Order: sequence, then C-alpha cells, then structure tokens
Amino acid sequence: MLSYLIFFVTVASILSIATLGLNLQWGVSGQFNAGVVGFVAVGGYGLAILTMPASEQLLVRLNLPFGVGLAASLVVCALVALVVGLATLRLRSDYLAIATFGIATSIQLLANNLEPLTGGSRGLVGIPRPFETLGPRGFALGYLAMVLVLLAAVYAGLQALLNSPWGRVQRALREDETVCAALGKNVVRFRLTAFVLGAMLMGLSGALYAGFVGTTSPSEFMPIMTFQIWAMLIVGGSGNNRGAIAGSFVIWGLWTFSGIAIVSVLPPHFQAQGGAVQAILIGLILVVTLLLRPRGLLGARHAT
Amino acid sequence: MTALNRWCATGVAAFAMLGSAQALAQDACPKLGGVLALTGAQGAIGKVIADAGRLALDQVNKAGGVKGCQVEFALRDDTSQPSVGVDAARYLVDVQKVSAIVGLVGSGTALAVVNSVSVPNKVPTIACCAVTPTLTKMAQEGKTDGYFFRTIPTARTTALAHAQAVQDKGYKKTVIMYINNDFGIGVAPDAKKAIEKLGGKVVDMVAYNENQPSYRSEVNKALAAEPDSLVLVGLSQDGTIILREWFSLGGTPNVILHNTLRSMDVVKGIGERFLTKAVGIDNGQASGPTAETFNKDFTAAYNRPAVGPGLHTMYDAVAVTLLAMQAAPKLDGPSIRDALRAVQDPAGIEVGPGVEGLKKGLDALKAGKKIRYVGATGAFRFDKSGDVTGPMLIWKLSNGEIVTEKTITLDQMNALEQKVGL
Repeated sequence: MLSYLIFFVTVASILSIATLGLNLQWGVSGQFNAGVVGFVAVGGYGLAILTMPASEQLLVRLNLPFGVGLAASLVVCALVALVVGLATLRLRSDYLAIATFGIATSIQLLANNLEPLTGGSRGLVGIPRPFETLGPRGFALGYLAMVLVLLAAVYAGLQALLNSPWGRVQRALREDETVCAALGKNVVRFRLTAFVLGAMLMGLSGALYAGFVGTTSPSEFMPIMTFQIWAMLIVGGSGNNRGAIAGSFVIWGLWTFSGIAIVSVLPPHFQAQGGAVQAILIGLILVVTLLLRPRGLLGARHAT
Repeated sequence: MTALNRWCATGVAAFAMLGSAQALAQDACPKLGGVLALTGAQGAIGKVIADAGRLALDQVNKAGGVKGCQVEFALRDDTSQPSVGVDAARYLVDVQKVSAIVGLVGSGTALAVVNSVSVPNKVPTIACCAVTPTLTKMAQEGKTDGYFFRTIPTARTTALAHAQAVQDKGYKKTVIMYINNDFGIGVAPDAKKAIEKLGGKVVDMVAYNENQPSYRSEVNKALAAEPDSLVLVGLSQDGTIILREWFSLGGTPNVILHNTLRSMDVVKGIGERFLTKAVGIDNGQASGPTAETFNKDFTAAYNRPAVGPGLHTMYDAVAVTLLAMQAAPKLDGPSIRDALRAVQDPAGIEVGPGVEGLKKGLDALKAGKKIRYVGATGAFRFDKSGDVTGPMLIWKLSNGEIVTEKTITLDQMNALEQKVGL
C-alpha cells in the first residue's frame, strides 16, 4: 500500500508542475493554451532523446546524464514555446485555443512519424533513470524526493514572481490589455515571457514523467491530457498556485480511484462495463464542481 | 489554509478506507490482474477482449479453480491512456497483490507497464494485443528478465506470411498500405523486407492515419505506382473504407489482407464480388478444432460471434497463465514465470480450451503430470524472448465463406525466417 501511495504522490506531483505552468499562462496571464500536451510531449521526448544510450536507429546519440538532459529539455521546450508564442502573437482566446490545439496535435504526429529522431510509433525504451542503482524502493523514494523538491522550488519561484511587479502587470494584462499598452507596458514581452515560462514548466513535467516510467511513446500525448490538466486547474481554482496543486491531486485521484471504486463495487459480470461507468463518474463530478463551486476548491471569491 | 487542510484530510481518509478494504481481502488464493482499454480509442475492441478473458477465467473456475481456490479477476480500464494503465498496473501489483497481469492493448501501454511495473516487481505479464517488436528487443537485451510473454504473434510472423502469399501468387509489383500506428508500422517494414528477400518487389509503401472518413488520396498515391497487387495492413474499419475506394478507383483485385480484416463483416462491407482473387493471412489453426471449441463457447456465453482482434489471444493468455499458476510450486513471480513455459512441454498430455479441456489440464497438473496447452490460437510455444511462433495460414473467400487455402507449418515458418533473416 505504501509503495502505491509513493507512486501516486509522485505522479500527482509531476502533473501539478504542469498545472502550475498552465496557471501561469491562463490564471495569471490570461492566455488560453489548449495545447498543453504538446509542450509536455516536447519535454518528455526532449529528455528521452538526449539521454537515451546510443543506438544505430536513432539520429541523436548524446547519452547525456539525467540532470543535464533535464536542463537541456527545458531549453528545447523554451525554444519551441518561443516559436509558438511568436507565431500566435496576434491571437486571443478562442483563436489562440484552436491554434495551440492544432500545434499540440502536430507535435504528437511529428513524434509518431519522425522515426530517426523519436523512434516513431515504437516509442523510446530504456530512458536511463536516476536512483536506479538503489533498487525499486530506493528508486521510488529517491524520485519522489526529487520531484517534491522541484515542486517546492517551482511553487516558491512562482509565488515570488506573482507578488512582484512582473506578476502585477500579468494580472493587469489578463484583465485589460489595452489599458496596459496605454500605460506603456511592453505587452508582447510580458505575454511571451509568461507563455514561455508556463510551457517550460509543462516540459519539466513531461521530462520528469518520462524519466519516472523509463519509456515514452506518441500514444502518451493525446489531447485527453490537455483536458486532464485543464480540469485540474479549473477544479483546483485558477489563478491560485495552491489551487493548481490541490486540483492536480484531486483530479488525478479521481481518475485513478474511480477505476478502483468501480472494481470494488461492481459485480463481476459488469466489470467490463466498469470503464464506461468510470467515465460517467468523472464527467459527473466535474460538472457538479463547476455548478456548485465554479471558483474551484481553493479559488478566491473575488479576483485578486 | 483551513480549506486546504480540510480537503487533505478528506482525501487521506477516503484513501485509507479504500486501502484497508483491499488489504483485508488478502489470502493465499491467486488473483489475476487485467489491464485493458475498456473505454477510449481502443475501447470498442477492448470490451470484447475483456469478455474473452473472462470466459477463460470462468471456465477455469468451473473446472475446479487454481490451487483449490476460485480465481479472482481484477480487471482495470486504462481508458486507452498509457499513464492510466501504468497507475492501474501499479495498484494491481502493490495493493491487490495480483500474481500476474494479462491484457495490454496497444504498445504504448504495454511498454510503459512492462518497463515500470512488471519487471521491477517481478510480475509475469502476458500481453494479448501488443505486436511491437520493441518488446522483443527489450527481452533480447535482457531488460525483461523473462517476465514478459505475449500470445499474439509479433509483426515478424505476419510479415513472413504476407511474403509467402505474395510469392505463391507470383505477384511482381506489390504496394503495401498500412495503418500509421505501432501496429502497422511494426508489420509493414518487415513485410517489405520479407517480400523482397523472396524475390518480389515492393513498389511503394503508403501509410494512412486511422479513423478518417476517406482515404482517396492515399489510395491514389498507391495506384500511381502501378502495382499488380496490394498488401493491406489495417483494422477492419479503415480497411473496409480503403478497399472500397481501391476497387472503385480501378485497383487490381489481387489483394492480400492482414488477419485483422478476416471477418464476414469486412467482406460484406466491401462486396464479395470484388474479393474473388483476394487472400489473407492469419495464425495457423485459427480454424482448427481447438479454435472451434473456443468459438462455440464464446458465442454461447456472449451471444455474438467470436470475431474480432485479440479474442483468441486473450483467451489463451488467461488460460495459459492460470494453468501456469496451478503448475507453479509457489505463487510468486519467478515460479509462475518458469511454469508458463513448463505448461507447454512437448512431451506433455495435450490439453485444449473449454471447461473439459481445462479440467483435464488442471487435474493432470494436480497429479504432477506434464501438459501441453493447445489453445484458441493453436499450438503455440513461447520462445526465449516470450514471443510466440506458430503455424500461419492463408485464407480466401469461397462460396461466401472464409476458408483456408493453405497452411504454412511451423517448420516452413522457421525455414522462411532463416531465408529472410528477420
């Protein structure tokens, strides 16, 4: 039981880093990114490609150590986000959403087809992981510790940013861009920095998950993950970093425990239908949350 | 802060309650874990595959169960998302303490589960529906410690069968159309290599994405190479659309179909009169007496024909795992892993599917005798990488029925493998 708890907390914490990134983009800066999974994919594949042991089938054979690979994948993610951000500079709300959704789908298809780079649909197996020499228990605890430390660092950094003049400009941008521009703020620079920083956090999340599981494949990065991270932010309370983390644990817990609850409650003949019941349960809880507590679990009653 | 504390407390309490409920249910009886895609993109085929697995489990329980217990089937849905599948597998192993995991639809889930749950926790995993050659490579590099098995032939065996069909018919300019996912991309390059090694020529390879309403542009691209034959590697829905468009655009009737297209639904969807020259490949003895037993039992239990991907392989995965659990001296990972090969002892008593067959097998094992399980997919053997090789067959349409044109025996398959060098 304890080992499952460690596993659950590790995965939920990894996902909350992505949710914090989305909170920076949407909750603080007001940019509707519907392509979250694309940046997660760039981070995950970035780490995998850079750290995989050399093989004739792969183009990139750097085999970098985990820490260096992690940092490098963040840089790659930042570059991709910069390109995307510049390309979508003029787009707002729905248009930004459609564009980012399309970009995320394209990234997934690129991963599926660029075989020499990404291993194609076969995926990449054997991503070297830190703490592996400590045995299964040591690996689990070591990785959990590393993820929690990173999560705490990200949270502290974001809180500091939010309470700074930069954070105040972002929130002002979210409310009314024209006023900010009239006051002489460089709207482009502020939008881009929030977008890129948020995307880097999503990439960090993807890289940490790929390192945790040790394999990655294109089927891990389908649009459903964007929906999951959005749900985590909305249910937790958008605009609030603690809400983002809480929402991640709640929604990921919902996703996993609805499966467990179904298995425990349903009689054996209906087990095969359990999956459908699980989907209904998840949808129901999301709708109920939105109806009864639209500001989310920890969202503020009034906009801060 | 208090709101957060309240939510944390509720979460931990709920978790603890669920956890203790599961922990109380532990005893010495074996539990079988299943991870299948019951909803999501692969949900449509996953649900039926779950039924096939459940049939095997019910029959084993009716035949007396394993080690004197009725085996419990803990089936989890991975919603076609690998991360959910990994979490489900983790829960099955850590909390529900299953002795083995079966299922795994799709290579993404299979890779993630095998790599992060099965191997570190020494849990034998028998996949029914993942054909990726990456798992074979992992096993060859020693990364699976022998804990990974699959009852579905890898891309390699089906590619060899396609090549044999091309050679038999004397086709000289073949085009391969394949679905652009881990399944199609696994088979197509091997098929090309095999066809060319046997003297044929592949003039083009055209990939197509799944779940599209029309494939005219891909079909036109394939036809532009002026082929005299088509090898189609795809699933029934997209395969039907492609073949309809192929024939309507004047494509040759010389088509060779993958075993996923071997069903009367597909034939009716295209039109029998176009498929007079069509052949297909499938696992050998997918129409022998053992397969017939399974087909009858499945139809009797679920009121639908035993047609569709993964049914026979899932039944065999569950059956052979439960037999191995009976044969294993202890219910731990290494013992079951070794027993999985032991229940296919070439000198053993032949044992088939169905309640009677499984009862015969279980009784023989209880008496300390050796058995050889011949399942719904025929007489299969796990090789040292956990893959199965077996005879293949070439089928065709005759008088509105799918019949076997030719069987490629196990020896012939081995010879082909040597010649092609796959």
